[in-house]
Amino acid sequence: MSKKGAFGALSPQELKKAKIAYLCVLPALLVLVLVRAYPIIVVFLKSFTNWDGLFANDFVGLDNYKLLFGSGMFWNLFRNNMYLLLSVPLQVIIGLIVAVLLYEHVPGWKAFRAIYYVPQIISLVILGYLFKTMFGLEGPLNQVLRSAGLENLAVDWLLNRETALPVMVFCVTWYSIGWQTIVILGGMSSIDTSVFEAARLDGANFWQRTFKIVLPMIVSIITYCVVMAVIWTFTSLFPLIYSMTDGGPGFETMTLDYFIYNKAFQRGNQLGYACSASVVLLIIVLIITAIEMRISDAAEEKWG
Amino acid sequence: MQEKSLGYRIGRVLIFLVLFILAVSFVYPILFMFINSLKTLKEYYYSPFTLPDLSNLQWSNFGNMISQFKILGLLKNSFIVSFFTVVGLIGLGTLASYAFAKIKFPGSRGLYLAFLVTLFVPAQVTMIPMYINFAKIGLVNNWLGVVIANWAMFLPETIMLMTANFKGIPDEIIEAATIDGCGFFGRLWNVVIPMGWPAISLTIIFFFINSWNDLFTPMIMLKSMDKRTVMVALNSLVGQFTGNPPYQFAGLVLAALPALLVYIFLQKSIVNGMSMGAIK
Repeated sequence: MSKKGAFGALSPQELKKAKIAYLCVLPALLVLVLVRAYPIIVVFLKSFTNWDGLFANDFVGLDNYKLLFGSGMFWNLFRNNMYLLLSVPLQVIIGLIVAVLLYEHVPGWKAFRAIYYVPQIISLVILGYLFKTMFGLEGPLNQVLRSAGLENLAVDWLLNRETALPVMVFCVTWYSIGWQTIVILGGMSSIDTSVFEAARLDGANFWQRTFKIVLPMIVSIITYCVVMAVIWTFTSLFPLIYSMTDGGPGFETMTLDYFIYNKAFQRGNQLGYACSASVVLLIIVLIITAIEMRISDAAEEKWG
Repeated sequence: MQEKSLGYRIGRVLIFLVLFILAVSFVYPILFMFINSLKTLKEYYYSPFTLPDLSNLQWSNFGNMISQFKILGLLKNSFIVSFFTVVGLIGLGTLASYAFAKIKFPGSRGLYLAFLVTLFVPAQVTMIPMYINFAKIGLVNNWLGVVIANWAMFLPETIMLMTANFKGIPDEIIEAATIDGCGFFGRLWNVVIPMGWPAISLTIIFFFINSWNDLFTPMIMLKSMDKRTVMVALNSLVGQFTGNPPYQFAGLVLAALPALLVYIFLQKSIVNGMSMGAIK
């Protein structure tokens, strides 16, 4: 049905209501279109130029993409992204285990739940600087190692690629467990308790209850958690990388999203090049989202 | 009442212990930061793991943050940005969500989905054109620029949360308010806001904390020292006091404190809201 047809079918009173509704939505719509939607079009178009924000703004075809992929830069960044994704299974599995333990409702479980969420309340910049000190050459961790006689293990953890990425995976996992726990626990709480109680009365033990009842019922929430964590790892680690390593040494801990900042704002002003990286990042995130929708639809069908 | 078996009770104790150890591991790094912010440099390098000398707590570290690093001004900047971010979110979000939840109009579903889709667009992707455009109209190095950018980032989740909540408000109550002579804004003020308060208060708390903690947007948008938010200025803090971790920790504690206080007083509604799985 055409727009005009849709409006034609409305009575005068409905039309008045619709006008009010549009006026209500308009301010938010304007903000989103101007600040979020329109820039996407600009980014896409500028990714084919040598734009520097000042003078250069010439069409260069696929040069930016050729540089990004041909120089091996993309693969380096992507490998780092993939490495950091190691945190996703860790945080989801630990979060799931903790949620299962909390679900037993031992005394104080609500307080524990609140405490696990505390890292999420503190800015990742603050935590990043804290971790940087903790893992620094003269930091507390190395003090412990030295006093334990493990002098040769006491390196500057964030200045070596072999150690910097694992340390970051550790930090991201530590930071994210609380979110995972609370969301998974929330999903578990929506399980019909009568099913659970019936199983308990039938003598199902802890393991049977967990694997036969709880897990199948929370497949969709787990999918949601995994996908949110993957997207989050691709898009939201900026403050942590900024404060811990600044993407260094070299480009060894730099991720795709950090690279956009690096090229556009930090060093030089290769805005066109940064736009091509933005397009690639956006495509990756959209692919992940599409996969999520597929999986959760399939899970809905299988387990309802 | 059935007597619980010994195995059951041992199991419960073990679960409690595991949960307790986990809790310690989540609190310890934060406690570490606080404990060491009260030490002298010498004490810190002697051992960062002991408690500070209780008769000689270095509250002056915090005093130095205020006098030397002017952290109160930075906290004020953060507060201004977070406050107006939240005010705008409530205004824009309540209006749009009311329309989505309570008014039938052509294209409502499509518009709603279009709003949600922007949720998946990373901030970095839209930052470059936004920055260039904002620079042209004087919104760079201007708190309003950060506030508008924050609205755009947080509106999809706000509208998702509020729309779901407003749908639960019975139509009869809204109609009754109309019959009682309430105009459009009267209905919003007298019915929608009080009855939608769970979602609205969660929006306030959650996005206040989010904008307080954000680094990327304010860092790109705010250039001058007197405009910066505290998170942006931490870089200078760490640079200025390299080699003096207790000073750094004092600054980090002060920067973290406002969001933590909000959480401590309002954790119940935050945790309950998170349990609904609505926001990340």
